[in-house]
Amino acid sequence: MADQKIMVIDDEKIVGDMARLALEQDGFNVETFLNAEPALERLKNERFDVVVTDLKMKGIDGMEVLRTVKRLYPETKVIMITAFANLDAAIEALRGDVHDFFPKPVKIKELKASIQRALAK
Amino acid sequence: MKIENKIILSNVFNIGLILLIGFFAMQNLNLILTKLRFVEIADDLNASFLEMRLSEKNYFLYQDESALLDIKEKIDATERSIGQVSADISRAIGETNLDLLKSYLRQYAEVVDEVKTSVGHSVRIDAKLRTRGRGLREFSNTITRLERKGVNDIITRSKNVLFYSFWAILASAVIVSHFISQRILRSLREIQRLAKSISQGNFHKIEGSVPDDEFGTVIAAVNAMSEELGNREDELIQSKKLASLGILTAGVAHELTNPLNNISMIAQNYMEFYDVLNETNRLELMKQISGETERIEEIVKNLLDFSKPKESKLEERNINETVRKSLELMQNTLDISNVEVRTELGEGLAHVYIDDHQIQQVLVNLIVNAVHAMERGGVLKLATRPGEEERTVKVDVIDTGKGIPPEFLPHVFDPFFSTKGVGGTGLGLSVSYGIVKNHGGNIKVDSMVGAGTTFTIELPVYNKSAGLIEGG
Repeated sequence: MADQKIMVIDDEKIVGDMARLALEQDGFNVETFLNAEPALERLKNERFDVVVTDLKMKGIDGMEVLRTVKRLYPETKVIMITAFANLDAAIEALRGDVHDFFPKPVKIKELKASIQRALAK
Repeated sequence: MKIENKIILSNVFNIGLILLIGFFAMQNLNLILTKLRFVEIADDLNASFLEMRLSEKNYFLYQDESALLDIKEKIDATERSIGQVSADISRAIGETNLDLLKSYLRQYAEVVDEVKTSVGHSVRIDAKLRTRGRGLREFSNTITRLERKGVNDIITRSKNVLFYSFWAILASAVIVSHFISQRILRSLREIQRLAKSISQGNFHKIEGSVPDDEFGTVIAAVNAMSEELGNREDELIQSKKLASLGILTAGVAHELTNPLNNISMIAQNYMEFYDVLNETNRLELMKQISGETERIEEIVKNLLDFSKPKESKLEERNINETVRKSLELMQNTLDISNVEVRTELGEGLAHVYIDDHQIQQVLVNLIVNAVHAMERGGVLKLATRPGEEERTVKVDVIDTGKGIPPEFLPHVFDPFFSTKGVGGTGLGLSVSYGIVKNHGGNIKVDSMVGAGTTFTIELPVYNKSAGLIEGG
């Protein structure tokens, strides 16, 4: 489990920080990004097991991240989180083969459980 | 005085004038009848007097004593007939003339008696008989002539009176109706001006003295309505603000969810890893929570500030600051709607004289409309620039949305006009229009279907020396 890599993309710095704090305690290798451009650059060189991304972000948004990840690494799971809890976005995200969808505020335990499920598959 | 009363009064005046003239004409006719009657009698008398003088001539020519008897009989007959119509004669020529006539007749009779009783011809008495006879006839002729002249005078006078009365009544009718219609038209124009002003959203009153007539009542009613509308306008501005608030809230909810999520995640980790975290870590997390609550406080404060009803307060302001604040309010809505914002704020613009919150509300309304017009994303441009002769400052709100069809353009500022179906109240632009007009400014729209819409607000610059609004 220690070498399993998780990427967290959210323009809120605390989200990345708190996800890192919680996931690193479980022995994950966590990298955080404040926007999608450098994250997608990083993905070109490195495969991650799970990508947790915010949906609405300035510039490249979560849907674009999902598409790029699925194109580069079809087996990588994508978990979507968003402050804009609207059903249309969730349905669209799920149709695009997203592993899970979390509206903010995020329950960290549920997020961890979802990551565990993603890795178990 | 009420217009109705004025009309009644002028009618009463004219009717009175007509009655007076009628009465006067009637009097004249009666007088003419009396005079004519006298002239008739006088003709008879004259005929009798002529016969007396013929008999008198017979007496002198033929020394016929019976001629004197004829004269005497005729005098008696004439006296009888004068006695019968003395009332008519007295009315026509007056008591004095009647007495004179009678005395002439009597004197003539006395001379006739004198002649009869005298023996032989006395030249003196004969001359007296001639003189008296001539005198009687001359007096009678004079009176008759005078009375004929009197009749003519009366007819001429009546003609003149009728002629001048006709013009007096006509002039009075024309002048009175002219004044009354002028008064009505002036009041109507004033009310028309007020109605137009109200339709443009300026709820002014008719100033100055209110006339004490029907228009006074109408003006009082219109003033009351205007005042009521003025009060309602404030309510309308506030209700529209609350409607904008609904739209803002969608953006704000998103904005609030982020700090809430941050606090929530920190708290979950704080509890979960309490033992793992050292004191510095814990303090750092608490500091972050504190920072996030301040973020929430700021958002709520902005929202409350916007929603609060405020007294209109005009102040000297930099329009660019107002544009920036409006954009800040709308930032979240804009972020989640795929709209790119560009600003082109003019430098060194003259300050404007505005109520900051109201103009912010106008800009928020326009930005909300722009966002709605660009459902599939687009570019929203806000620009500020000097107006003509730098007496005004202009703000452009330009979108690349679907545009407004030309047939709708003239109606966009009408109250309750909306193209948004159930989503729009149709009040946003109408309220915005009212606010800008109240600032002595102007708001215009230009649009092309498929290319986008430009709203331009023109606001008067602040006049430092006078503190008054210029331009407009």
